[in-house]
Parts: sequence; C-alpha cells; structure tokens
Amino acid sequence: MNKTLHEVIARKKAVGDFLLSLYITAGYPHLKDTPQIILELDKAGVDFIELGIPFSDPLADGPVIQKASQIALNNGFRISHTFEILKEVRQQSSIPILLMSYLNPIYHYGIETFLNQAHIWGANGLIIPDLPLEERGLFTPFLDKYALDLIYLLPPNAPDERLHAIDDASTSFVYVVAYAGVTGRENSDPIHILPFLQTLKKSLTHPFLVGFGIHSHQDIAFYSRYADGVIIGSAFIKYLEKVTEKNIPKKTREFVHALTSPPA
Amino acid sequence: MSSSFSRLPDTQGYFGEYGGRYVPPQLEKVLQEITEAYEKIRNDESFQKELDYLYKQYAGRPSPIFHAKTLSERCGGAQIYLKREDLNHTGAHKINHCLGEVLLAKRMGKKKVIAETGAGQHGVALATAAALLNMECDIYMGDIDMEKEHPNVTRMRILGAKVIPVVRGTRTLKDAVDAAFEAYLADPETIFYAIGSVVGPHPFPMMVRDFQSIVGKEAREQFQEMTGKLPDYLIACVGGGSNAMGLFNAFLEDKEVRMYGVEPSGLSLNEGEHAASLTLGKPGVMHGFKSYMLQDEEGNPLRVYSVASGLDYPSVGPQHSFLKDIKRVEYVTVNDQEAIDAFFELSRVEGIIPALESAHAVAYAMKVAPTLPKTTTLLINLSGRGDKDIEFVVNKYGKNYGL
Repeated sequence: MNKTLHEVIARKKAVGDFLLSLYITAGYPHLKDTPQIILELDKAGVDFIELGIPFSDPLADGPVIQKASQIALNNGFRISHTFEILKEVRQQSSIPILLMSYLNPIYHYGIETFLNQAHIWGANGLIIPDLPLEERGLFTPFLDKYALDLIYLLPPNAPDERLHAIDDASTSFVYVVAYAGVTGRENSDPIHILPFLQTLKKSLTHPFLVGFGIHSHQDIAFYSRYADGVIIGSAFIKYLEKVTEKNIPKKTREFVHALTSPPA
Repeated sequence: MSSSFSRLPDTQGYFGEYGGRYVPPQLEKVLQEITEAYEKIRNDESFQKELDYLYKQYAGRPSPIFHAKTLSERCGGAQIYLKREDLNHTGAHKINHCLGEVLLAKRMGKKKVIAETGAGQHGVALATAAALLNMECDIYMGDIDMEKEHPNVTRMRILGAKVIPVVRGTRTLKDAVDAAFEAYLADPETIFYAIGSVVGPHPFPMMVRDFQSIVGKEAREQFQEMTGKLPDYLIACVGGGSNAMGLFNAFLEDKEVRMYGVEPSGLSLNEGEHAASLTLGKPGVMHGFKSYMLQDEEGNPLRVYSVASGLDYPSVGPQHSFLKDIKRVEYVTVNDQEAIDAFFELSRVEGIIPALESAHAVAYAMKVAPTLPKTTTLLINLSGRGDKDIEFVVNKYGKNYGL
C-alpha cells in the first residue's frame, strides 16, 4: 500500500471532490518531454498520473496509444528511462505516479527488481492491463515491501463474483473500463454504462475511477455524478500530436483547463 | 494411457509453467464462456458426429500416408513417409481446426468468425468453413504477407470473407494477431476469434490441438497398418505449432518415438533474420500466453523472418515450450535455402509440391535420413501444399533450379 496515493484519494473523497488522472506515454512525443509534462499536469490540478511504459504490442490500447508507444520506442525509450523520469519529477513534485506497463517488459526486467526500482525512484503504484486477477501472486508478495498499490481493471461486462473478487483484491481504487474494446474510442456514449455505474456505487467498497474513451468536459461532468474520478489517456496523447515542442508546457495546462472548466 | 500428457493443460490453461490467459480483463468472461462451451462439445456425441462427417465427406479425411521411396533412396538411409495433410480440402491441415472452431462458434450463437493469417492457409480454411456453415468472416493479414500470398487473398475473397490489411508494426503475422485481438475486444459477444494455431490465451492452445489431433490419431493407426510398427521419428515444422501438435499429440506416450519440431532459421541465426522462437527465445508473455519468445532486452518482441510466412512468428504454442523443457520433443532449425532445396527435391522426385512451411520438415528429414539405417522410419507431417508459393519461389529462386 502506498501512503501518498491513499492520502490523495482520501483527501478528495473527504470533500466530495472528483479525481482527475491523466495518462502519458513515457518518452512521447520526445524522449525528454515526460518530466516536464508531468510537472505541468501537477500544477494544472491533476490528482495523479498514469505513466505508460511503451510496449510494441499493447493489446488493450487503440491506435492513438499504439502509435505513441511506437514513437517512444523509436525515440530510443528504455525501461531505465522510467526511473530517470521519476527521479526528475520527484525533485519538484510528490504527485502520485502509477506505472502502466504490459506484463512482459516487467517480467523480462525481473518483477522484484522492477518493483524495487519503482519504489526507490518514487512510484506509487502499478497498472498492468494484461495481468489477470488469478496471476496477481506474481506481484502481491512485493507490494507491501515496496509500498506500491496494484490497480485492477474492471470490465463493463464483469459478472457479480468477478466484481467482488476485484474489489477484494484492490487496495486503493478500482479502474473501471467504460466499454468493451481498446482505449481511445471517440464516439463512446457513457450513458450505456450508467446502470453498471449505479451497481458499482452500491457494490464496491473501494472508490472507482472510469477510463477508456473519455475526452471532453461533458464526459467528465457525466462521470462526476456517478464515479469517483476519471482517467484520460488517448485524448491527451492525440492532443499532444499537434503541439510543437516549445509549446508543450503551455498547451498541457490548457488541455487540463479545458477539461475541468465548463465551456465558455 | 494414463500418463500426465492426456491431462494437460490444467484447468487454468497451463502446460507446466507455460500457457495461461494473460488478456485485458474485458476478454476474461468470453474466454471462460468459450472454455465452458468447448468442454461441453468435446464430450457431446452429436457435435463429434457432425465434425467427423465434415472431416470425412467435406475435407477428405483420412489423409493418406505415402512412402516416399525415391526420396528415401536418394537420401540413402532412413525410410521417409509423408502424412499427406496437403491433400485436405483447402490444401493444408488448417481445415481440421477451422471446421471445429466454426462449428463451436455456431453452437455458441456467434454471428461472425475472425482470425489472423500469415501465409493465408488458416484464413482460407476459416473462410471455407465459414462459407460452409453460413457465418460472416473477417481475416486480418499483414499487407506484406498479402502481397506475397496473393492467391490466398483472392481465394478468401471468392469465399466471401473480408480480408483486412494490417499496416501496423512489422505488417506480418504478429501484427495481424494484434489487429484481430483489437477487433475481438470491441465485440466479444457476437464475434468468435478462431485463432490460427495452438497459441493465444486458454482455451485456444488446447482446443486447436484437440481439433488437430485427428492427424496423429489417423497416422498412428495407418502407420502401424502399413509397417507393423510405430514410426521411429516424427518430424513437423513449427511456427505457432498446430500441425506439429496435431501429429505429436497421439504419440506423446510412446517413449520410443522420437519427435522433432523444425523451426525456421531463415537467412541466419542473427537477430531479425530467423523465427526460431524455441531455439533462441526466452520465456515471455505476449498475445495472452506465456511461452518461449524472441524478444529484445526490454521485453519487446523481436522482428522475425522466414521465407515461409506461416512460420514467422516471434512466439510459439505453449505446449511446445513445455515439451522442449521436459525434453520430450527436440527442436531443430532449417534455413531458407535448405527449405527451398527440399521444396524442389520433393516436387521433382515425388511429384509433390510442398508448402514452404512443410518444406522445412522435409529438409530436416533429408538432413537426418542419410545418418540413419535403412530400417529406421521417419514420418513427416506434410502439412500443406505449395500452390500458394509457386510464383514467389520461381521469381526469387527459380534461376538456380533451371526456371
């Protein structure tokens, strides 16, 4: 369990506030951009960061993050850069950072070695989209030792027993996937998931954040009524595609501002 | 036969430490449904009867075993026999599991089957089974493979399937699998992903193996009828490993039968020039299962290559990884040139044009036969015919063979 992450969630919950998390692919758009992007997101009021470790075959990701991952790998991104990013950010910010990686890069790196490094450089938790609940034993023996939370994804079609199993295994929050499919669908209508969100509100003992396909102020307004927070990924990655290098800090702030303030 | 092999995989889909179901959680429910539906039909008499009928009256089973006497004489050693899966309807062993998978999909009430394909053999077989059983069919294929294997692309289209070019990543089989998974994730309720080999998350490695095991079952009987004994060696090419598992499965308990899985060493054993996942890979997790995998030091799959599109995949069926570790099967390599030599040799001395994939198995038999006594028998799974490859082979290699 990670204290900082829990404090941030508890603080927001206490005042009935909504959690906003942003995803950024490490090493994208340019290899060295990531620490600055994270710091800007922090300043703009984002509650925590999902830092994606690029993988060549990201099964749960749509075209936008696939492309960003490939760009980051082509930029020369290595897993060790993850720790350099953390080191740089931690000199100025304590914003919780969850490392999002597919299983194989971590498995290949050595699971405990990776978790140890993540801990040393100040990561707060992990999201591993292709790690089934049944295989969490690969990680759980080390989580307390390295003060990390493992976040599980809850699919929209999950049967009751699955829902409870995921809730039971969770230690901080549950990541609810908004629709069947890969990340970044542009026309996903959140209204379909409403009955499911209402079920979750009653059944889950942990707070839950919704991710996948969330891209507008309108989406956030909707989810703020039924969930504890949202995770935004593809929309931000896509937005960065068109931003020139020197404008990244300013544009990052503007992106968050546009999401969190009602349209004029 | 009461040994360990018949019980594999375990209920979680593991062959020893390999296999499993490493997928985004949106797929867990539907994979469990497929597992349960499959458990039901595997013991259901009416299903098995329907499948047997299609094997016999539609696919042309049983496929014969042919004693390649001239080839054996020319090699000057062991006797080479061919299990003629190339004679099946659609020209390869792939029809065996496609009929099974599409029948299962139909029983589950699915509307559409989708799959990836490398050489196009699986795509053609699935499009065929889908046409027969009145299902929609989408096939994902790397655009590089589409160009190389365009006769198969045409076949799929004639059969009514939609062939969707995959332009991401390396534009070959691995990326076609990614694209098929993406489509599957979006609509797992109406789609059935009929994966093309003994790979992917549980239950696919088990299910595809079981549907393919007809090859070994037939061969075991036929071979004993022909020769009065079991073959001494089994030889099959391994990309994902479906034809090899199909042949090997019936012989796993027969300790005296030696088995060889042949991987493509392509142009060389240098990175990016081969697809010898078992020979040079390390355990890893990709496409929903754990197995030997060719990967870089960061855990990303490496670029792979083989002259045979159906073999260039950076991982391999998990049961093969298990059989390698316990040393039940030996995995060896054959390079492009040896496969091309075997392609022409079998064509010219036996009148059988093999698929480039299967030519790898023939090439290994040609290598090992001269070192063995005349009484030793080798049984090759001639998994497919080479019609799809002729244009490519003649254009690229014809000159050296008088064409």
